[in-house]
Amino acid sequence: MAKPKSDVLQGTLALLVLKTLERGAMHGYGITLHIQRVSSEVLRVEEGSLYPALHRMEQGGWISAEWGASENNRRARYYQLTAKGWKQLAEEEKNWARLSAAVASVLQFAQ
Amino acid sequence: MSLLSRLAGLLKIHRLERDVEDELRAHLEMRTRDNLAAGMSPEEARYDAKRRFGNSTLVKEDTRAMDIVGWIETTGQNLRYAARMLRRTPGFTLVAILTLALGIGANVAIFTVVHAVLLDPLPFPHPEELVRVYDDLRTSNTHDVGMSVPELWDMRDKSGVFQDICVIFPTDGNITGGDHPERVEALGTNANYFTMLGVRAELGRTYVPADALPGFSEPVVISDAYWRRAFGADPKVLGTKIRLDGDLYTVAGVMPPGFRHPGRTLDADVDLWATTGFAAPPFPAPVVRAVRLLPGVMGRLKPGLTVSQAQAQLDNFVAQLTRQFPDEYPAAAGWSIRLVPTQEDVVGNVRTELFVLFAAVGFVLLIVCVNLANLLLARSASRQREMAIRLAVGAGRGRLIVQLLTESVLLVAISGAAALLTVFTLKNSLLRLAPADLPRLNDVSLSPGVLLFAFFISILTGLLFGLAPALQTARADQTTALREGSRGAGSSKHQLQFSRFLVASEIALSLVLLIGAGLLFRSFWQLLEVRPGFDPHHVTTAKIWLAVPNDPQNDPYFTIEKRAAFHQEILRRISALPGVEQAAIGSPPSAPMDGKPRQSPFLIEGRASNLEHIPVAETASVTPAYFSVLKTALIAGRFFTDDDNAKGQQVVLIDETLAHRYWPNSDSDALGQRLQMAAGRRSEMAASPLFTIVGVVGNIKSDGFDAASAPHIYRAVYQAPPYGAVVYLRTTADPGLLGEAVRGEVQHVDPTIPVFDVRTMDFIVSAFLAERRFALELLGIFAGVALLLASIGIYGVMTYTFSRRTNEIGIRIAMGAQRSDILRLAVGEGTMTVALGVVAGLAGAAVMTRFLRSLLFGVKATDPLTYAAIAGLLTAVTLLACLVPAHRATRVDPLIALRHD
Repeated sequence: MAKPKSDVLQGTLALLVLKTLERGAMHGYGITLHIQRVSSEVLRVEEGSLYPALHRMEQGGWISAEWGASENNRRARYYQLTAKGWKQLAEEEKNWARLSAAVASVLQFAQ
Repeated sequence: MSLLSRLAGLLKIHRLERDVEDELRAHLEMRTRDNLAAGMSPEEARYDAKRRFGNSTLVKEDTRAMDIVGWIETTGQNLRYAARMLRRTPGFTLVAILTLALGIGANVAIFTVVHAVLLDPLPFPHPEELVRVYDDLRTSNTHDVGMSVPELWDMRDKSGVFQDICVIFPTDGNITGGDHPERVEALGTNANYFTMLGVRAELGRTYVPADALPGFSEPVVISDAYWRRAFGADPKVLGTKIRLDGDLYTVAGVMPPGFRHPGRTLDADVDLWATTGFAAPPFPAPVVRAVRLLPGVMGRLKPGLTVSQAQAQLDNFVAQLTRQFPDEYPAAAGWSIRLVPTQEDVVGNVRTELFVLFAAVGFVLLIVCVNLANLLLARSASRQREMAIRLAVGAGRGRLIVQLLTESVLLVAISGAAALLTVFTLKNSLLRLAPADLPRLNDVSLSPGVLLFAFFISILTGLLFGLAPALQTARADQTTALREGSRGAGSSKHQLQFSRFLVASEIALSLVLLIGAGLLFRSFWQLLEVRPGFDPHHVTTAKIWLAVPNDPQNDPYFTIEKRAAFHQEILRRISALPGVEQAAIGSPPSAPMDGKPRQSPFLIEGRASNLEHIPVAETASVTPAYFSVLKTALIAGRFFTDDDNAKGQQVVLIDETLAHRYWPNSDSDALGQRLQMAAGRRSEMAASPLFTIVGVVGNIKSDGFDAASAPHIYRAVYQAPPYGAVVYLRTTADPGLLGEAVRGEVQHVDPTIPVFDVRTMDFIVSAFLAERRFALELLGIFAGVALLLASIGIYGVMTYTFSRRTNEIGIRIAMGAQRSDILRLAVGEGTMTVALGVVAGLAGAAVMTRFLRSLLFGVKATDPLTYAAIAGLLTAVTLLACLVPAHRATRVDPLIALRHD
């Protein structure tokens, strides 16, 4: 159904979420909007994978959640990075840089 | 996973579910709003939001699963860590599990009995309405004198407090027509018995209103056990004719297996129920108000009426009857009616014993908890470094406490499971320890109530012994802990004091238990010292029952002469049996410590004129050799002879108690005096024949070792021959073989007469003491366990203290301290703790043993000797337990000790 191209690459969802939360606490819907907008609509986060991922990261201690009021005063669950989450983000960013550099050099070699 | 964390999990999962739903709904709403803003129609907006979500239930479940996975992972981590810690110290773990299992197991075992006997309501609808109705004669302090039929009718029709009221008449029954006559436990009742209790037959029917006749009606109901025993559980038993005491009856119904008559019986569970109005033969007809032939009455109060309200109404009613029939109810007699809730009546005095035992196992468990808390504290000291490091790297104190509690909970879960398993595999062996006449013993089972109790007591235990050490450890001051930790030993002074406090409380608890057990032991000792007035060794007894047919015409033993001749012939034959030195026969109340005594009011000739109190005595009829067989002394006059028969003068023997009370100067003053005996009505008393006192005999403690000596009057069997009789044989022969021989002789005289209950008197006496012995043994065991645990506790703490001070002791020795100085130091410190515990324990015992008072005999609840002896014993044992580690500490080489750092 969903276009595979626009789906977030397997394994990068956590990185994207952590990076998004770097700017401050955000609720789930806000995270999808942010990723979509910043990636110029290229990356789309599936709701079906976002929430399980958020809860998994919460249990892992990377992020913590708190109920708060949304922009128009609805109850929403706000996620925010923990100390462990900041470390994790740095780690994942490094990994991603290494990975993409590696992929890039493979592609260049092929040319 | 323990039940505790599972329960917590359920609550948590429920909360999580709601949270996830709320979160996802918020998302949907925000998306819909944005879609609307983007210009979609409301319908489209909602549809799009949902479509993006895909299968929302699935999303919800996936999300929730992540939470649960995380939670389980944490718990699993805690559990794995706990298990690892426990495995690393197998000695500690084993001791902990064993003591805990013992504590929890004892509690569960006793609670199982308490639950079945005391807490579980009787298995009838509205059991709180059921009462036993007792008639008392207040002025002479005579209880349970029985009721007359007109009184029963008044209670039923005019008292206004009963929905239903019914006679309870336990009796022997003789079933003939089979190969052998068989004695059954029968219960005569009114026809409303089963409807009053609210029970139905399993097979066939109980009574119908048409069964309510003045005399016995033909249908009878049998118990499940008797149905299996006598009819091989034949489903076609209904309609079978049986011959009971010479009369024909028809089996109309079989009761369900769980049904038991809620009250005392003669001997065993009721086999057979028969119904009668008690107003036609074999009962005296027409009925007379003053003849209290009904031995017991049970009633169901009107709904909403409390027992005390009903009692107040009945008191008024009794006052009114007393005014109405002054001749039947002389004011001097103080006739009154007393209601006792059936549940209380069934349980009787076992209540106190069970509560005492329950309290005792509670104490044992407390001691186990204190002991474990202490062990954990000592252990936690060595883990302080680990905890400090974990705190330093950012672990939450909450997480650490949960971690430590998980260890406790894991211990308790293992122990609780082990305890439950043990109790229920050993249930039958354990029950065999209990006295057989413990009421409602058959109801003891693994009920949900018991499981719930086991569950809660385990949780409580885990928290109790785990919380204090966990808090203590997690509170650890990081810097000092790290520093102390680096020195290898390390526990704060504060912690040591707390340990000592725990040991002192352990000693106090043990002391209370030990004093309780000591008091019971002294009581039992005193009881055994009581001379019962007879020699139970080498006496075998058996019972016989002459049937009482409803129509006297069919009764071959209707006259005194016939019955007397029968007893005389039986006595002649059994006396001649090989191995029998001497034999005697008596009426059922003549059997000491077996069954209910029979009390009769009496008057002494010449003293009758001015009586405020009509005296009562226990009466029985016996043959001449009765006192010789029991080795009871003759004090004055003579025993009965064979000539004391219907043709001779009416004679009685009295015992010393009665003689001393009325002829205080000399026992022989009583000889030749005359008595009258009757049911209590003045006119009837006057019409009673005069009985001449021909002898005074020693006291026989017929109501038990612990009962005050009641006055006794004995009549001659040949002048007052009973229908039921007890045969006494002084012999060294095997009771089993002898029983057969007696049966042979009796049935040679009359083949329709059953012989039953062949027992030695030693057995009867020991059965009488069984309940007390049971309580004593259990309390003794619990107290012993407590003493052991307390010793282990103080030993552990002292060992730990000295190991921590090895360094200091080394310095002291190096500086020239003698070993005796070190020992003195140790004893001084131990003594403080022990003294504190002993003082608290003595105070506690003085308060707690008050509840034992009704179980004590010949010793006061504050008996100084017991208190002093037990306190001394406990002090000695605990001081010894702290000397051993101290002694070991002094043996250490100062050089090694100094390097111990």
